[in-house]
Formats: sequence, C-alpha cells, structure tokens
Amino acid sequence: MRDLYQRLSLSSEASELDIQSAVERCQNSALRQDADTVLAVNEHRETYDTLHQTLSDIGCLRARLGLTHGAHWQGDVANDFSLPPDHAISRHDELVDRVSNAVSLYNRWRRWRGPWLLVAMFATGAGIGSVIGFALCLGLATG
Amino acid sequence: MSMARFSPFELVLLKSRSQVDTATLLLLAWVLVHRQHVSEGQRRRRLAQVTAQFRHGHELGPVMGIAHSQDLQAIQLAAEILRKECSKERSLSVLHQSITVATDDGELSLANHYILRFLADLLNVTPTTLSTLFYELTGRPMGAPEDPSRHTYWQQHNPDYFRQKARDAAAEQQAREDAERQAQEKAEQREQKKQRKHQEKQRQQEQAHARKEQTRQERERQRQRDDQQRREQAQREQARHERAQSERRQSSHTPPPDRTTRALAVLGLPPGASRGDVRLAYRRMAQLHHPDRFFSESEHQVALASARFQRIKNAYDYLMQTY
Repeated sequence: MRDLYQRLSLSSEASELDIQSAVERCQNSALRQDADTVLAVNEHRETYDTLHQTLSDIGCLRARLGLTHGAHWQGDVANDFSLPPDHAISRHDELVDRVSNAVSLYNRWRRWRGPWLLVAMFATGAGIGSVIGFALCLGLATG
Repeated sequence: MSMARFSPFELVLLKSRSQVDTATLLLLAWVLVHRQHVSEGQRRRRLAQVTAQFRHGHELGPVMGIAHSQDLQAIQLAAEILRKECSKERSLSVLHQSITVATDDGELSLANHYILRFLADLLNVTPTTLSTLFYELTGRPMGAPEDPSRHTYWQQHNPDYFRQKARDAAAEQQAREDAERQAQEKAEQREQKKQRKHQEKQRQQEQAHARKEQTRQERERQRQRDDQQRREQAQREQARHERAQSERRQSSHTPPPDRTTRALAVLGLPPGASRGDVRLAYRRMAQLHHPDRFFSESEHQVALASARFQRIKNAYDYLMQTY
C-alpha cells in the first residue's frame, strides 16, 4: 500500500479537479495509471481513503511509541506512512501526572484549609456586594 | 500544569481493577471495529466472549464507543500500558486473542493486517512467531496484505467497472468507425462522378487528336533532325538546372537563422552573443537548473527541472555545432 496522495503531492482532501490535474501532470506512467484507477473513481477512492486513514493512524502511533523500524513495518507502507517523531509525551506519564496533581489538590482541600478559605471568600464577596449596593443607594438619593 | 480534563478512556482506566485488561480490551475492540461484514451486536458479543476471563470489572459499552471514535490518544495510552506491563506469555495470549477476534472464519481485513502487525511489533513478537501463530489459529498462511493503491487490485476486485469501461470504449470506437465509413462512401461517390466526366472529356479529345495526327506525322519527320540538336542542348541545360536545384534543396534544409536567436534566448543571451558568452551562460544555467538540486523536493519538481535542463542543453548543443 502506497500513499498516492503523498506521491502526487496532494492533500488527502483534494478535490476531484486537483486530482485530475495532478494525474495529468504526473510523469510516471505506472503511477498515473494507478492514481487514475484508485483516486478518480469515487467507489475505489472511498475504500482507499478508509485504509489510508487507518494506516496514517498506525504510522502516527508507531512514531510516538518508537516503533518506526519494527520488523513488521517495512517496504512501501513504512516508506510512505512513517512520520517523523513528534514531541508528544507519553500518554501514560501524562495520566500519572494528572492523577497525582488531582490527588494533591484534593489532599490540600481536605486539610481544613479548604472550608475556611471558602467561608472567607464568601464573606469578602458579601462585603463587596453590600458596599456597591450602598454606593448605588447614595447616588440615587443625591441625584 | 495541564488544564485538560480526564478523557473517557482515562476515567475508565482509573476505575478499572486491572489496567492491563482494560488496555487489552480497548485494543481488541479496535481490531473488532476494523472487521468487516459484522454487525454491532455481534461485535459486542464477541468482545464479551473473548474477555470473559478479564478482571477489569467495568462495562464494555464505553470501551467499544471509544474504539469506534478512533481516539488515537486513548489507543496510544492503551498500547503504552500493554507494553509496560505485559509479560512474554501474556503478550502471546493477547496476540492470540486479537487474531481470533480479527478473523474467526472470516477474511482478515486489510486494516487488520496492519493492526495485527502493529500489535506484534508492540509486544516484541517476531514475524515468524506471528505467522506460525496465525497459521495454527486459522489454518491459512498470513501472507502479505493486498495493495488497493494499485491498478491490478481493482482489476481483480471490481471487474465490473473495467468491463463497463471497456464497453464504453468499444462503443466509442464503433461510432468513430461508422462515421469514417460514411465519409469514405461519400468520397467514393464523388470520385465516381468525377471519373465519368473525365472519361467523356477524354473521348472528345481522342477524336480531335485523330484528326490532327495525320497532318502532324508529315511535319514530324522534318522536325526530327532539328529536335535532336535541340535535345542535346536541353540535356546540357537540364544537368545545369538539376545541380542548381540540389544546391537550393540543401540550403532549404538548413533551418532559418531564427532558431539561433531562439537558442540564444533559451540561454538568456541577446542575439549576436559570442561563443564564450554562450559557454559561460550555459554553465550558469546548468548549475541553476540541474535536476539534482531539486532532489529533496517533490518528484514533480525534479521532473520539471530535468525538462528545463534538457531544453537548455539542447540549445547549447545546437549553438556549439553551428555557431
């Protein structure tokens, strides 16, 4: 399986017109024939696109898991669907980070400080509200 | 500090009693989603059946939903967990389960070909082990996946389309031939008319000719002597004429001077440039447009550059020959 879009320097959402012009421009007659059969016929293109999507996903997963040179990932597929390693960090580490973060927040909340903080915030909020109300009343009385 | 919320799969994972089992579950669901000709209910039942021994202790519904949404991050997380916490035996059994789920007496879909290989790479299973396992479980060799990016694949799998195409082409050809035949018939009719007219004319001419013939024969004898002299002179003249003509023909073979200016224009020179200028310009242009310079860009760029380079080289060769 090859990535015909990449080989024709198209995006995978290319319109039929773009595909047609790219096919006409293509110098390699074998590739032109393949692209004409696969991409120019809607029915074929749908099937191809589904598999193309899956393979791009697998390529992305392999790049992130460091499996771009696996024993089962060779030939055309590996050539066309291998991505350069991106800077996405390990999902598992991220999950562990997030859980530990949540745990520490929770613990802090539990250690009595939380409820008092809430009460204090409520009191300040009520104070500010009453001051604004008083100022408005004064303004109405004088004006 | 990341502000992102926990994704559905992370929540499932946190609630799970066994993270490895949940991760395996998601990957098996992923394989099942890519199996063709199976209904949703069958998929769920199959998943429940295969994972009866698992200790995850949560519903299968949400996992199936995540697999359907093709959530790459969830699948990546599951793959990481599986790789981290799977023993050698466990990894073989996971592969075993995924092969049964992917095939059970049906065809292995193209997507699953690649997914199974991905899992094998993930679990450090060699190709030979995978193919033996596959053979033992299904009774068929695994083989290389077919390639739907090729013309021949579609010739095999969708012969109707090609038959229709051939029929259309044949009909078009037929129509063209019919048109040609009609045109030919018309031309023939015209030709016949012309011939008839021509014949009549000839007959008239012959009659007139016969009358003249007698008088001419007498004159002929007188003229013969004069003619011989004249013929010799004419031969001499003709020889001279032919020589001149062949010279003219040769001169017509040499192209118009306009081609030189065009070749100079290709090299970016004004008409009347010297030979040294041409050589210099050629070197500069060749460096600028050499196809190897575009090697790192697309194939299309390389093809365009080689066409340009060829044109430049042709112009240079021509100028070097004639200039």
